[in-house]
Formats: sequence, C-alpha cells, structure tokens
Amino acid sequence: MNIYIEGLLKRYEKTVLNIEKLNIESGKVTAILGLNGSGKTTLLECIANIKNKDEGKIYYDGIEDFERVKNKIAIMQQRPYIFNMSALDNIVLGLKYEGLDEKSINKRIEKYKEYYNLDFLHKNAKKLSGGETAKVALLRVAVLERPLLLLDEPTANMDIESTLMTEKLIKDINKKNKTTIVIVTHDLFQAQRLADLVIFMDKGKVIEYSLKDEFFSNPKNDLVKKFLKRSDKND
Amino acid sequence: MEILKIVITSLYVSLTATFIASFFALVFGMFFLTKQFKLKDLFIKLFDSFTAMPPVLMGLLVFLLLSKNGPLGKYNLLFTPFAMILAQTLLVFPIIFTLMVKQIDKNALRIQKTCYMLGGRYKDFLTLILKECKNEIMTAVTSGFSRAISEVGAVMMVGGNIKGYTRVMTTFIALETSKGNFKGAVLVGVILLCISFIVNAILYNLKGREPNEYLY
Repeated sequence: MNIYIEGLLKRYEKTVLNIEKLNIESGKVTAILGLNGSGKTTLLECIANIKNKDEGKIYYDGIEDFERVKNKIAIMQQRPYIFNMSALDNIVLGLKYEGLDEKSINKRIEKYKEYYNLDFLHKNAKKLSGGETAKVALLRVAVLERPLLLLDEPTANMDIESTLMTEKLIKDINKKNKTTIVIVTHDLFQAQRLADLVIFMDKGKVIEYSLKDEFFSNPKNDLVKKFLKRSDKND
Repeated sequence: MEILKIVITSLYVSLTATFIASFFALVFGMFFLTKQFKLKDLFIKLFDSFTAMPPVLMGLLVFLLLSKNGPLGKYNLLFTPFAMILAQTLLVFPIIFTLMVKQIDKNALRIQKTCYMLGGRYKDFLTLILKECKNEIMTAVTSGFSRAISEVGAVMMVGGNIKGYTRVMTTFIALETSKGNFKGAVLVGVILLCISFIVNAILYNLKGREPNEYLY
C-alpha cells in the first residue's frame, strides 16, 4: 500500500508535526529515525488515524477516506493495550473479528510459531514480561496480514535474540506478502538491517528521506551527518 | 416476622435502585467515554457534584414530584416502595456514573482504538470494555449499593415508614431509637451490617482477582 502525505499539520506537546509532502513506497520497509519528541510516533499515529490531524491529507493507494481502507492497516503502538485474557486470545482476537474459522486461525498461527518460543501463549497476557508483551502485540497485528503494517519501536523491550527473530519476522512479512512496513526505531543498526528507505525527523519535520545506502553513506542534511558521525564514534 | 419483612423490603428497594441506576450509568457512561463533545467535562463535574447531594433534599424533590399537587400526583405513588426506589435510584446514579466514568476513562479510548484497529465493531468494543473494566464497574456498583442500603432520609420522607409496607432497616432503626427500644434497633443494626458485608463480599468476589498489569 502506498502512502502519500500532503500538507500534514498536527500539534503535539510543544511542537508541530509539519510534513509538506511525503511518499511512502508500497511494498518497502521504511524506517523512521529521529531524536525523542521529533514527531515519529505522531506521524505513525496520524497515518493509522489514531490521532486526528489538524490539517492536510493522507492518501492510501490514492484513497483519502480512511474508513474505506481501515481494514488494510495494522499498527503496533509503543505502549500497546493488551487485553485481560490469554496471550493466544489476544493474538487471535483480530482474526476472530475478521470472521475466520478455528481451522484457518490455527493455520495462520502455525506460520508464526517458528519465530519465537511461544510457551507463554496460555498465560494471562497481563502477567507477561515486557518482551513477551511486545511479542504478543506484534503477533496480534502480524497475523492479520494487512497490506500496511506500522510498527512503533517493536523491539524496544526485547532481548538480542528476540530482536533478531523479530527483524527476521518483519523481513519475511515484507517479502512474502509484499507488505508495506513503516517502523519507528532508535536503533541505527536495526534501520540498516531492515530498511529499504530511511526517514530522519527533527522538530516535527522530515529533514532527510533517502534510500538506506545513500542515507548511511552520503547524507545531505548536516544534522543527520552529525548524528551518524556521533554514533560512529560511540560504536 | 416483622424484621424479616423489613429486611426483604430493604433488599428489594436498594437492590432494585442499584440495578436501575447501574444500568443507566453504564449506558450513559459508555456514551461519555467514547464520544468527545464540548460540554463533556462540565457534565461530568455536574454529576460529580450531585454525588454529595443530601438524601433529605433528594427525598424532598421526589416528595414534591409525587405529592398530590406534583406532576406525578395523580398516580398515587407517594408512600410506596416505588417512591423509595425512585429516590434511591436518583441518589445513587451520580455515584455509580461518576465513579465508573472516572475509573474507566483512562483505558476506554485505548480499548476502543485497539478494538477497532483489530477490525472489531461497536458491539465487540462493548463486550471488551465490560470484561476489561469489570472490576471498576463492580467497585462503582458496590459503592452505589452501600449508599442505597444505608440511606435513611429520602426513604423516610417518600416511603413514610409504613409498618409491613415501606418500613426498611434504616427507618426501623431511627424509629426504634426514638422510642427508646435500643434492643430492637441494635438487632436490626447488626443485621444491616451483616447484609452490607455479605453483599459487598459477593460483589467483591464477582470482581475476581486482578492480574498485575505490566506497564512499560
């Protein structure tokens, strides 16, 4: 699914998300980088219509009416709401809403079992650890297999092994289903490993948007240059 | 026998009033929790201030409403259990409503957005919020019932404390105390206390154990 944003304005905290034009390519993985408060999450939530925009237009495959495309978009929020039921029930909830029968649901779940050790599936989801909760939230949106997947720091609470498996899962979803994936991350290396395109945001604006290789080897914006240099030193 | 009748009347009036008030609190609560409109905060503050309404004042309002010259006077409802139920319903509705809205408000929008994002409809959202906020709802209902069963001013005014008809535990205690029959008053007082404990224990058990929510 292609996303085209035009004249987007959204006031948040003390800043204004202000995006003149932005085209998120269909079938690609796009990483959004930026410092805290730069508008990454607000942008993602505006795309998912969780936050109402103050001005501007967002087109989903050329369609502006969100109601017509809402069932083609899934978002994993930074602090996902996990329901007071088993982890498995949380994961299959969306599939039940879509009217899938038990056999199809089981078949769908099986596809995702190779990525994680899911021995917590029958535990109450509210009693899970941070990493397990993140896996439930991610699987809950992944199993829906919608054309647009928006992920807000999906690996923030995961250990290294789970992070790598999550990245494999994201790549596989993108390859197998041609899903457009937009991922907000603070991890430069994750963006390097996962993304086809990288967006860098600062104070509510997109200050760099380019192919991954170009972004890391030849950034145009001075702030991005500084940011990459600093992370090279820290490495 | 008289005491049994008093206990039954008390439970009938207070449980019915709590049930009706809870039903309307839930319906209005869902509307307030899921819709954003200009005067929302003002309405919630208004209902909040009604929680402190003195029962005798509510009794007076219902009395005026149902008395011979009042708008509903022709139905002869004054000094009946109906009048007592009406007074208690109006008294406990703001308590249940504001407690419910305040407690659920922090999660309602998140539940709604998550449910709709997953493809759920309004009925799915209602099912989810009732399950997710069962504890908060039961807490509000329990508070409403506690207020109803222990209330004396309003039921005395609109019920009339008629023996065998509208006499409830609280009005019986007030009457027997004024007559100097402390033995009867204390006995019914103990029964009232036990019933309050039992009903609250049942409602508490209905809430179930709350799992430790993991926040990050």
